[in-house]
Amino acid sequence: MEPPTLNTRIVEDRLPILEASTPHAFIVPTKKIHEGHDVPQFLTSKAYRDIGIFIMQLNIAMCPQKISGSGKVQAWQLGSSITLSKPMLQLQDLMQRINAIIEEAPPDTGPRRFGNVSFRRWHEILESRVHDLLRTYLPSSVLGFGATDQVSPMEELTPYLLGAFGSAQRLDYGTGHELSFLAFLGCIWKLGGFAAEGSKDRSLERSLVVGVIEPYLQVVRRLILTYTLEPAGSHGVWGLDDHSFLPYIFGSSQYCPPTALGDPMPTEGALTNSPNPGDISKKSLVDKERKHNMYFSAVGFINDVKTGPFWEHSPILFDISGVRSGWGKINKGMIKMYNAEVLSKFPVVQHFPFGSLFSFEQDPNAAPATSSIHTAFHPSSAHVNRPQESTKAPWASAPSLPSGDMNGSSMAPTAAPWAAKSRPTPSGMPLTAAPWASPSRPAHSGMPSTVAPRATNSERTVRDRSKDRDGRGR
Amino acid sequence: MSDLDRAIAQLRACRPIPETQVRELCHKARELLIEEGNVVTVTAPVTICGDIHGQFHDLMELFRVGGDVPDTNYLFMGDFVDRGFYSLESFLLLLCLKVRYPDRMTLIRGNHESRQITTVYGFYDECLRKYGSANVWRYCCEVFDYLALGAIVLGASNQLQPSAPRRTRAHDLDTTQEHIDPDTEIEVLNSEGNLISSVKRRSPEALLASPEIGRTNGISVKSGPPGSGASGDSDGTVGNPGGAILCVHGGLSPLIGTVDKIRLLDRKQEVPHEGAMCDLLWSDPDEIDGWGLSPRGAGFLFGADIVKEFNHVNNLSLIARAHQLVMEGFKEMFDNQIVTVWSAPNYCYRCGNVAAILELGVDGSGDSTIARSNGEVGRSDGGIMKEANGTLLAGPARRYRVFQAAPQDSRGMPAKKPVADYFL
Repeated sequence: MEPPTLNTRIVEDRLPILEASTPHAFIVPTKKIHEGHDVPQFLTSKAYRDIGIFIMQLNIAMCPQKISGSGKVQAWQLGSSITLSKPMLQLQDLMQRINAIIEEAPPDTGPRRFGNVSFRRWHEILESRVHDLLRTYLPSSVLGFGATDQVSPMEELTPYLLGAFGSAQRLDYGTGHELSFLAFLGCIWKLGGFAAEGSKDRSLERSLVVGVIEPYLQVVRRLILTYTLEPAGSHGVWGLDDHSFLPYIFGSSQYCPPTALGDPMPTEGALTNSPNPGDISKKSLVDKERKHNMYFSAVGFINDVKTGPFWEHSPILFDISGVRSGWGKINKGMIKMYNAEVLSKFPVVQHFPFGSLFSFEQDPNAAPATSSIHTAFHPSSAHVNRPQESTKAPWASAPSLPSGDMNGSSMAPTAAPWAAKSRPTPSGMPLTAAPWASPSRPAHSGMPSTVAPRATNSERTVRDRSKDRDGRGR
Repeated sequence: MSDLDRAIAQLRACRPIPETQVRELCHKARELLIEEGNVVTVTAPVTICGDIHGQFHDLMELFRVGGDVPDTNYLFMGDFVDRGFYSLESFLLLLCLKVRYPDRMTLIRGNHESRQITTVYGFYDECLRKYGSANVWRYCCEVFDYLALGAIVLGASNQLQPSAPRRTRAHDLDTTQEHIDPDTEIEVLNSEGNLISSVKRRSPEALLASPEIGRTNGISVKSGPPGSGASGDSDGTVGNPGGAILCVHGGLSPLIGTVDKIRLLDRKQEVPHEGAMCDLLWSDPDEIDGWGLSPRGAGFLFGADIVKEFNHVNNLSLIARAHQLVMEGFKEMFDNQIVTVWSAPNYCYRCGNVAAILELGVDGSGDSTIARSNGEVGRSDGGIMKEANGTLLAGPARRYRVFQAAPQDSRGMPAKKPVADYFL
């Protein structure tokens, strides 16, 4: 029998599973983050808390485990025999069905700029079938979860799945879409779709990562290759990766030093015989290791799509490969970076829809959002060199993200400029919410057409703007 | 050797210059740029270039292919920074060259020359990383606010001149053709100066006999050289003879009916989220009628009718713009009334595209683009003949040089830099 404190702890760092007997009021998810200044509110929301818990829960599940009593170590590789439960196998089938839609929407062969317009066709087909697919592949216990009134679980889940495969309009894919898939799985988890309770040995979470998330990433990579999807909100070479983040978290966890069940995530060191972090710039090693490890699988994909020196097209990964304190350190850094560069960035989270399962309601236990790097918008003169506090991720396993962590860094996280209600501009440009408007018309093509960072899909904005133009004439 | 020449030498070697020098350089550049109008007047010969996006080694290849500064006059249509690894070195080198040879370098503003955009697309991160503070980023942004919004090229020839000898990488010989057919309107050369394709100016008879000319609203169904499929419109100019060439990063604005209106804008500010200045830097031509909303969330889409009317009203023979990746390096649209020039090969290390620059020669005879026409809008038929004497007029003769990404063998692997604090 494990000590109660430990039990409590295990319960606390897992996404709670809802009681199926209690009726639940589902909500059709809608966007709540409209402006940069909505981001701090997100960072203290229940949704943010739950996303964090879920990621940490999956992350620690991928960390090698000490087998008690034997002195042996169990590590988890891609392609190894991890037993998948029926719901997982069903989701694998779902991924295959989604993958197969590519055959029905072959890439357009006509003149094009970069992104392939046939991706719109692909997305249309997915949309037209999504309800049938969910009915076929989701456990009936999830779809029949005791709803109180009109809104069904299906209505709440659908947007997360549809949002997980890139933007048909912009022909791009990025970490926001990846996050949407994570939330889709989180919803199923909360509704008890994988098990009525989490598994003690974390095998359930593990099979979710290896058995569902990795296959999802494979589908996404095929989409990117087939339709040459543009990186969404790209920092160019100065981002971690053009499209993905999660494989770097889970992949670095796979190489962490082993822990016993109930131990916290290691923050340094590495699994014996794991590759050196520096090996990511060796193509032959990457090709060998990408079959087993999510980090290397992601790096391998970069090698597939990019030409040129690795250090030049992927300098952030290159520098991280010089970390000497092992994969534990890299894993901890990835978690922090995900918090700052994905969850705290307006262009990424602005598209995230909130419902009842991932709720925009405030988490009563959240630490108050300090005025922070996340709310300090434009790195304008007034802000840049001033000590900045970073909002602490309540779930970051590191004891704390010390405030001022980013100070004096040569790589302080980029502040979100669009958030700037108070951005000083030389001209005194009015900072009222100029509808930095949005497309009603599908983009013609993709790659690297720079998108205005505040572009949203608000219908109202479109209408107002076009009316405005019409009024003006030309 | 002056400090400036030393800085140029250092930047040519792809090494950033110290922060204090950047500050000084930016200060000088601003003093220079503040004197320029919103629309700079440039006289041919000039070589027009599109997006660079921090691809320093490819910028060096561009200078090799197009000729070095100050031997060749250049006009860069913005988007020097963001996305690539060397935005800083690329922009500072261009700025140094501008300060050193102000009459031979023209830099106009792209949508990425903006505080807001550079914090999203990489230049801000790059400056922090290379200098440890945002100071250099801030100096550069102050320069961005002073960059001109467009340029007008005058005196471009209707006839191609033999291109000057060029030093090639393998051997220092000129490989360019010695003789040029005076009827050649468009010529496409590879990076070694060898002819890929050329297009003859159409004879008036052929134009009049051609049924589709002027009746398809500029939407051409043709494909073929130069450049290949995407450049299908490059089949000889049919309209708008004799005007000047407007260069702008993005395109037109519904708020801008004449070039003079651009001159009235107050440009010395961050690029606004909407309005004329924004549109000039963000808009794209598209196969539509009139104006459309842009999928970019800023600027507009504009169709052939808009371009033809604008060129007619403003006596332009061509609009040169950048802003959109073109796999073949350049793309002429709308009966050759607008061209997209793209100068970042293998964009983002993965697009596999070639790059191009556009050379406009100077006319020895002196009557080149000064001649003006006042025919009807969409005057493909009427505009063929010069009003009084029946001489054929047409747009400027255009020589595109197409090049690929610079070889990478010379780039050694640097030491790993300290990682972000996340990993400490």
